[in-house]
Amino acid sequence: MTRTIPLSLAINGKPHTLDVEPRVTLLDALREHLSLTGTKKGCDQGQCGACTCHVDGERVLSCLTLAAQVEGRQVTTIEGIAGEDGTLHAVQKAFIEQDAFQCGYCTPGQIMSAVACIREGHAGSDAEIREYMSGNLCRCGAYNSIVAAVREAAAAVSVNEKVEAA
Amino acid sequence: MRDFSYLRAASVDAARAGAIQPGAMLLAGGTTLLDLAKCGVATPDTVIDVTHLSGLSAIEVDADGARIGALAKMAAVADDPAIIAAFPAISQSLTLAASQQLRNMATIGGNLMQRTRCPYFRDPGTFSACNKRAPGSGCSAIGGVTRNHAVLGVSDACIATYHGDLAVALVAFDAVVEIGERSVAIDDFFLVPGDTPERETLIEAGEMITGIRVPASAGAGNSVYLKVRDRQSYEFAAASAAVSLELEDDGRTVRDIRVALGGVATKPWRARAVEQALIGKAIDAETVKAASLLAVEGAVSNGGNQYKIALAPRVVARAISDLASKTARTSGGQA
Amino acid sequence: MTIMEPNREPRKHGSAGDGMVGGRMSRFEGELKIKGAATYALEYPMENVAHAVLVQSTIAAGRVVSVDISKASAMPGVLLVLTPQDDLGLTMCGDWAGNPSSGEPYYPLPQTVQFNGQSIAAVIAESREQASEAARLVTVTYEETPSVTGLHDPNAGEGKVMPNLVVNWGDAEQALAHAEVTIEATYETPREYHVAMEPHGLMTTWEGDALTIWEPSQWSHGMARMYAEWFGIDYENVRIVSPYIGGGFGSKGQPLAYGAVAAAASKKLGRPVKLAVTRPQNFTSYGGRAATRQTIALGATKDGILQAIRHRGMSETSVYADYAEQTGAATPVLYKVENFSSEHRIVAVNTVTPGALRGPGKNPSAYGIECAMEELAYVLDMDPLALRLKNYADHDYQSGKPWSTRRLREALTEGAAAFGWDKRSHQPRSMRDGNQLVGYGIGCGTFPVIRAPSEAIIRILADGRVEVVSGSIDMGQGTYTILAQTAAEAMGVSIDQVVVQLGDSRLPGSSIAGGSMLAGSITGAVHKAALAARDELVGLALNAPNSPFAGSGANTLSVSGGEISTGSGDGPVVTIAEMMKALGREHLEIRRNTLSDDAQEAAEQRKAWTTMARVMGPTMGDYSMHSWCAHFAEVRVDEEFGTVRVSRMVSAFDCGRLYNPKLVESQWRGGIIMGIGQALLEEGIVDPRNGRTVNNNVGDYLVPTNADIPDLTVISVGVPDLNASALGGKGVGEVGIVGVAPAIANAVYHATGKRVRDLPITLEKLI
Repeated sequence: MTRTIPLSLAINGKPHTLDVEPRVTLLDALREHLSLTGTKKGCDQGQCGACTCHVDGERVLSCLTLAAQVEGRQVTTIEGIAGEDGTLHAVQKAFIEQDAFQCGYCTPGQIMSAVACIREGHAGSDAEIREYMSGNLCRCGAYNSIVAAVREAAAAVSVNEKVEAA
Repeated sequence: MRDFSYLRAASVDAARAGAIQPGAMLLAGGTTLLDLAKCGVATPDTVIDVTHLSGLSAIEVDADGARIGALAKMAAVADDPAIIAAFPAISQSLTLAASQQLRNMATIGGNLMQRTRCPYFRDPGTFSACNKRAPGSGCSAIGGVTRNHAVLGVSDACIATYHGDLAVALVAFDAVVEIGERSVAIDDFFLVPGDTPERETLIEAGEMITGIRVPASAGAGNSVYLKVRDRQSYEFAAASAAVSLELEDDGRTVRDIRVALGGVATKPWRARAVEQALIGKAIDAETVKAASLLAVEGAVSNGGNQYKIALAPRVVARAISDLASKTARTSGGQA
Repeated sequence: MTIMEPNREPRKHGSAGDGMVGGRMSRFEGELKIKGAATYALEYPMENVAHAVLVQSTIAAGRVVSVDISKASAMPGVLLVLTPQDDLGLTMCGDWAGNPSSGEPYYPLPQTVQFNGQSIAAVIAESREQASEAARLVTVTYEETPSVTGLHDPNAGEGKVMPNLVVNWGDAEQALAHAEVTIEATYETPREYHVAMEPHGLMTTWEGDALTIWEPSQWSHGMARMYAEWFGIDYENVRIVSPYIGGGFGSKGQPLAYGAVAAAASKKLGRPVKLAVTRPQNFTSYGGRAATRQTIALGATKDGILQAIRHRGMSETSVYADYAEQTGAATPVLYKVENFSSEHRIVAVNTVTPGALRGPGKNPSAYGIECAMEELAYVLDMDPLALRLKNYADHDYQSGKPWSTRRLREALTEGAAAFGWDKRSHQPRSMRDGNQLVGYGIGCGTFPVIRAPSEAIIRILADGRVEVVSGSIDMGQGTYTILAQTAAEAMGVSIDQVVVQLGDSRLPGSSIAGGSMLAGSITGAVHKAALAARDELVGLALNAPNSPFAGSGANTLSVSGGEISTGSGDGPVVTIAEMMKALGREHLEIRRNTLSDDAQEAAEQRKAWTTMARVMGPTMGDYSMHSWCAHFAEVRVDEEFGTVRVSRMVSAFDCGRLYNPKLVESQWRGGIIMGIGQALLEEGIVDPRNGRTVNNNVGDYLVPTNADIPDLTVISVGVPDLNASALGGKGVGEVGIVGVAPAIANAVYHATGKRVRDLPITLEKLI
């Protein structure tokens, strides 16, 4: 057998332990070892964005991240962004409402990217959304609806924040 | 990917001590190393993860210039208000590179160490000849598909383009690369291929970039990074230019100008001939156009990349003209 | 709370969310997809699975002399290495059309190399990482032979004429010789790829002679049949599971060599095998759109009446199969012309056999004729819109048949109005915005209505829910949603009461999800079955002794909102669940198909679901039936840099009745975006020295990003066409892309005065 190393990863707020070869990427750890298949493999070489998830709250590509690298960090995947009670995230709701996907394969990555895009403050205009969502390819061509969904969700998030602040 | 051991460096010294071992490679954002490992180009025995080191990601800007820690993320530098104000071309070069996800991963030090996108370099299973991968084996690109290959700084051994953006801006600003205790001017840090294309930078085994210093210059705040490509986003440059411009008080005579090119050369390419042709001259369209043509002095085409020789000077000229008209407007407004 | 503004949106197609056919229902399976909970092929939990990685050829043509597997076999975790030396015991399968197998052996890992990137070995190991590393250590020794790597290869030759693709009427040569105005030009399109976001791959497992395959499939029944024939097992023993597919666009309609390899490895090892085709390997594991070249000559009168069209086209195919990307497919149906001549050839080159990619044939064909028409317009100094309207085809000149419905005129006029075509200044290079030249262009598109039979089960459950069961698939077109709508409407229940089960070859037969034929076909079967189920329920309600309606004297009952009533206002109102309870039924199941009476035998049914034998073309009836569209593009060109950006598009479509406009609009936009990629970015680049696709990844083979796409306005001008399908729809998915590339190429010409006749229009062609 090849060498494996024990890892303890914090994913969606829960600890997970696994024993993998050091070369296993975060993407493969999620999909092949932890049954978290919501994160998708589209290219496995950093060119499509389907594997986008959050590490310490920032969007990254899990295909170019080693699982070992994120030990000690907080990982969030598509399975972890709805509320504990199952309430959908504003971005998820907007994606359904705007029909911002067809086949659904790039969708988890788009949503993870969109959540971060809004949080980063990069959803200020349609042009900015387009640019900051360009790391997520969609071959079905849902781009218009993705922009609309991010715009709608950004407005909803901003309302929520104001309510919370008040 | 080949099997490897994973080590987490506890300190810069430990990272350097590890990296000097044969087969060891430093791992930062992973966007180059893991990509190349999957292509079969990089075959480390050990990767030494430096991303957990603290104290190497600061971004400081003052009257003397900027100092950026090697582990600062591209996205953090791109969005840093002080960088945006003092060195707009640096921010722009980062914002126009890759995608936000990759910019959140990739570090500044790693960005400088990125390797070429030459498809022949990246496909060792099919193209065994590559002087970068296997010195002396030949160059598969020459005689092949060369649309994205370099026209400047090429040799018979290698025509692979340096595809990065940030380093182009840094070369324009005469940045200095800090490699632990020693510092190297960035133009010297990157090497043209010559007969040794496997050697791309001055980094020696066991060395690690620890930071970048960008000295203040009068024109830095009036700088731009212009990137031209077929796709609007998430593509490497067909040609790009980083330009900073300082005009005399008359609002039209060039006091200082810096020009560097990307996407067309084997390293980030400083175009000093263009600068020299413009310093002391009054800016007008014809002067700028004539001077910009000097950007591709000595350019060599290998077929499909011929267009770069026409395109690069136009990118330079546009960048200069845009800055000049902006400056003229600004000074006009003040007058 | 949300306040609805009544009548703000046009309600032509039904109101949002009412669940009925024509309504703007959100995607039925949407919640699963946005949660990452829809399970794609490689994501099923599987115990003890081994991982296979392919080794592909690195030469264009020749023979595998030897494969050294010693290093690979010695690597940790490696279980098996398959090479051309291994007899996998497979037999060729019958083809799509239903022609039976030749009985010849089938070698998915062949000794003879016919193209660069052909699978020639596979490594199976405990983990994908191990298999992947070991695969690099497989050393292949080749004996190379001369190759032809593309249409531009000096040795490519002229290929051969496809006799079924020769079309002539009138006398085109004579008419061209006498025409007052003629133009002639040659147009080329490169190899293009599907690039579905989900890469190809599969998981397979055997239990005795029974093979289960989890693989993205546009045609579960057809693929199951081909696997069965390869392995010499009964059709019933193969099961393809494919409820969610991460995009197909034509690439996932048949099993491919790697599928045979995975299933054979699984059989040899006696354990499940997962094979993920890497993104680079996707570029050669199945064919994209063939490169094409066509020369078109048009003759017209000085006032713009078309006199003749002469078309000579060719496309590349592989050295081992004939596949024609029909450059003459749209040429004969777009305009009124009395003299026509078209011929298509195929040229064998060392590539994987090309395949169907969105708008096959029609797409490059429309690129040719629609560019040629605008070239003619400029020679005539005539508005390209006016030229098209002037030569409007009143009927199908090829078949001589009337159109069933053809609202292309409305597409042109309403599209032009929405676009603001009247603000165009005719002269090229006459519109400018700062550094940018602005141009407008038009491209018309068409795709035939292809009809096919399907079958469906409607199951009324004890709790009153209605289950729709079909082996058809949903790769994002919206099958789940429109079948739920169809069943809800026909059954008289709300959409919440409907359950849809798809994507399994063991479920009722259906047409392929391709050629835009599935929606029209499967809605017909579901509608038929649902009406029959409702009749059955009503019949039982009227006649069963325990029914609340027994002895009510009613002749008929109404089912609406999930409730059964007499419809007259008096008498009982009973939910379907209550009725099922009263009837003492656990479920009520009705199976119906839309096959003709002569095809109801079991063997005929099987053939219908697993081959193309019962598929009907657009003129196999009294009418000529097609979807139509007109695209209007605005481009901005930076003349110094040669960069083109599409700044605005309006596209008007006649696709008949829309079952769900929200989903249809998404599909149209998807086609348009793929067309923008085709026009400006997409090109498979082959090294002529060894036939390698050097940009075999999505960082180098560029598809549009979000930032490349402006707001796309789409308009429906269609009317229901009941000749085309049971519910009046025509095809939607294919036609969206057809005509986009010429609209953009024409706009680039209008902006710059430069006519680029080979796609894509990359910057070096304009500087």
